[in-house]
Amino acid sequence: MEAREQQRPSAGLAGLLAEFASAEAVRAAASALRNAGWTRWDVHSPFPVHGIESAMGLRRSGLPWLVLAAALAGVLLATGMQLWTNGIDYPMIISGKPLLSLPTSVPIMFELAVLLAALAAFGGALVLGGLPLFGHPAFSSLRFRRATTDGFFVFLSADDPRFDPAAAQTLLQSAGAVSVEPLQLDASGRQPPSAVYWALATTVVLALLPPVLVTWYRAGPKPNPRIHLIQDMDFQEKYLPQGSSPLFADGRAMRPPAPGTIAQGALDADEHLYAGKVAGQWATRFPVPPTAAIMERGKARYAIFCAPCHGLVGEGGASGITSARAVKRREPNWVLPLSLHTPTVREQPVGQLFHTITHGVRTMPAHGAQIPAEDRWAIVLYVRALQRSQNATLDDVPEAVRPRLRP
Amino acid sequence: MDALNSEKRMIPSAKAGAAAVGLLLVGVAALGCAAAVQFYQDSSGGYFLHSYLVNFCFFTSLSLGALLFVTLQHIARAGWSVTVRRVAELLADNLAVMFPLLAPLAITVLAGNGALYPWAAPESTAADHVLHQKQAYLNPAFFVARGVGYFVVWCLMARYFLRLSVRQDRTGDPTLTLSMERFSPPALILLVVTLTLASCDWLMSLWLHWWSTIFGVYFLAGAAVGAMALLILLVVLLERAGLLAGEVTIEHYHDLGKLLLASVAFWGYIAFSQYLLIWYANIPEETAWYHPRHGGPWAWVSLGLLVGHLVLPLFALLSRWPKRNRLSLAFWAVWLLVMHWIDIYWLVMPAYDPEQPRFGLGDVCCLGGMGAVYMAGLLWRCRNRSLVPLQDPRRVEALAFHNE
Repeated sequence: MEAREQQRPSAGLAGLLAEFASAEAVRAAASALRNAGWTRWDVHSPFPVHGIESAMGLRRSGLPWLVLAAALAGVLLATGMQLWTNGIDYPMIISGKPLLSLPTSVPIMFELAVLLAALAAFGGALVLGGLPLFGHPAFSSLRFRRATTDGFFVFLSADDPRFDPAAAQTLLQSAGAVSVEPLQLDASGRQPPSAVYWALATTVVLALLPPVLVTWYRAGPKPNPRIHLIQDMDFQEKYLPQGSSPLFADGRAMRPPAPGTIAQGALDADEHLYAGKVAGQWATRFPVPPTAAIMERGKARYAIFCAPCHGLVGEGGASGITSARAVKRREPNWVLPLSLHTPTVREQPVGQLFHTITHGVRTMPAHGAQIPAEDRWAIVLYVRALQRSQNATLDDVPEAVRPRLRP
Repeated sequence: MDALNSEKRMIPSAKAGAAAVGLLLVGVAALGCAAAVQFYQDSSGGYFLHSYLVNFCFFTSLSLGALLFVTLQHIARAGWSVTVRRVAELLADNLAVMFPLLAPLAITVLAGNGALYPWAAPESTAADHVLHQKQAYLNPAFFVARGVGYFVVWCLMARYFLRLSVRQDRTGDPTLTLSMERFSPPALILLVVTLTLASCDWLMSLWLHWWSTIFGVYFLAGAAVGAMALLILLVVLLERAGLLAGEVTIEHYHDLGKLLLASVAFWGYIAFSQYLLIWYANIPEETAWYHPRHGGPWAWVSLGLLVGHLVLPLFALLSRWPKRNRLSLAFWAVWLLVMHWIDIYWLVMPAYDPEQPRFGLGDVCCLGGMGAVYMAGLLWRCRNRSLVPLQDPRRVEALAFHNE
């Protein structure tokens, strides 16, 4: 800066501000300045003047290309995101569609293309337009305030390589300027105030915090449950089970059914079939005669409802896919499911197994609402078969198959 | 405006009338030729009727799109479009030519012939429970009555705009503009409702069990593309012939091009919306419509539409210069007219032959014949009428229109 001031005799002069009477006059002046070969100057007008860009010799803005590039980047990002989340990181078949199906990605592509294009258009217009601008020599002129109402101005910067105050003054006046005013450089320099840097740095640091925290929490196992940052609708203004309400005399939010009423389809009078009990004791026999068809049904239901945790053979531990995933991810709260072949379970009467499936036990959830009673009995039957298969003696194997057994 | 000026904006009436009569004769002969060829190929008449329906819907949609353009310009109180609006008004009024061309469809249906619409044949409705239930709406008499009703409504609306606009040429009364602006919103609503129903009647009912609630919008979007393309093409040709010289500038083409681009994007959006929902839900009664278009040779037509009706024109018209160049804009107008025809063809023809697209001499004659009749009607309408609304109060605004 100092070196430049030494070079130039007009030290401290920022440039010349010329005012013109009308849009036509400022357009003619722009043509004249351009033809004279000046390069560092700009026109300020209260509204976009028709034809000013050709008069000034402005080239077409590169903004459309920027926006197009951003839109295409959005398309690529959306495709990549869909491919990664749905096809690679967590492959999940939804509605029988392929893992990466193009049609489902199109709405995401469209949205991201629009989003990135809009951001690029907004940000690009600011940056290409030289904004944000913290100060301009023209702001020191009182006259210049009319640039937003009815004044037309040309500001000729002293940075122009061929700047010469006298020649510039002559040129502007011959181009029809109403007045020409020399403007001085602001003594405080062109640096933005340091507070701006501090604000920017603080913003960047604060903006980095969430990704750093997320990365840190994802990096390894933590003793506490994850931070529940986005609550969605997990906590709502509503009565929870066993909650209290001032509306009722007994203070309970949950209302008991009218005495003596039974919901439709909830009679369940057959204690053996629906509760697994006979005369108040656990049933030791099946309520329906076991057949091969029921066994097949039980096998299929078991594969759907039980195998994800207990494993296809029922040995528990990490043999089920859900359990295996929880172990792989080292979920801190995961309790390994029990083996169905422990003596305790094997000695339980069928009625008790049925009760466990219906109401759950310890961390195992209740399945009574998901599986009809007949199917639960079919599962019990299949569990019995599994238990026998894991504790079989030679007598259990048919004669014809015995020779094929390995010692 | 002075008499000399209005003469310059007119196709000489005698010439237009003679050309119209000539074109009408050629068109009727070509349609007869198409019927002869296609009845020879398929004596049941199915081929000819489907081919006829394609072109009937194509040319009707062009005029409907023009009517849509006219109402929208009045609703927006648009100044820029005044100098090209008369051409759109004439196009819209040409619906009166399409009206009598409804007759072959009406006669087929009334005769209980199921070659085009299987629901028209009593034996097929008796065998099909769904069709039986749909009979209250899909029956020959009501179908024909609706078709006549649509055309009466459309012709009256189109004639209203043309008459008031032409009257303004003589009287210069600015209140006529206000009248048209007041009439436009209800006219637009009426147009969209009737157009939706007509597309369901003529095109959707080709598939007996299929339905799509967006189908009317799809047809509307296609009509908008076709009408904008035809309007651009006609304006370019009329300007070259000197009839619109000085009335339209590159700024008008730029805005017409923007509307064409918007229509293309709108069509793509609607077409994909229909496809995505049906593809995703994967319900057999809905996917049945896409099934023949998804495999075999028809798949190439479908892909051709995706590329030719959406991707290529969208990117080609995205930039500024292709819309500000008469030659390139005219090229894309012709291109999109062809694509719009293929779109209608793709809507209709799989109903006739789900295995493969058919295109032959008969189709060429049918397209050319109906096109000739359509152009004859258009030329007939141009007699004694200026091609520019000479005394529209916003004409000055249109002449001075600038995009920047």
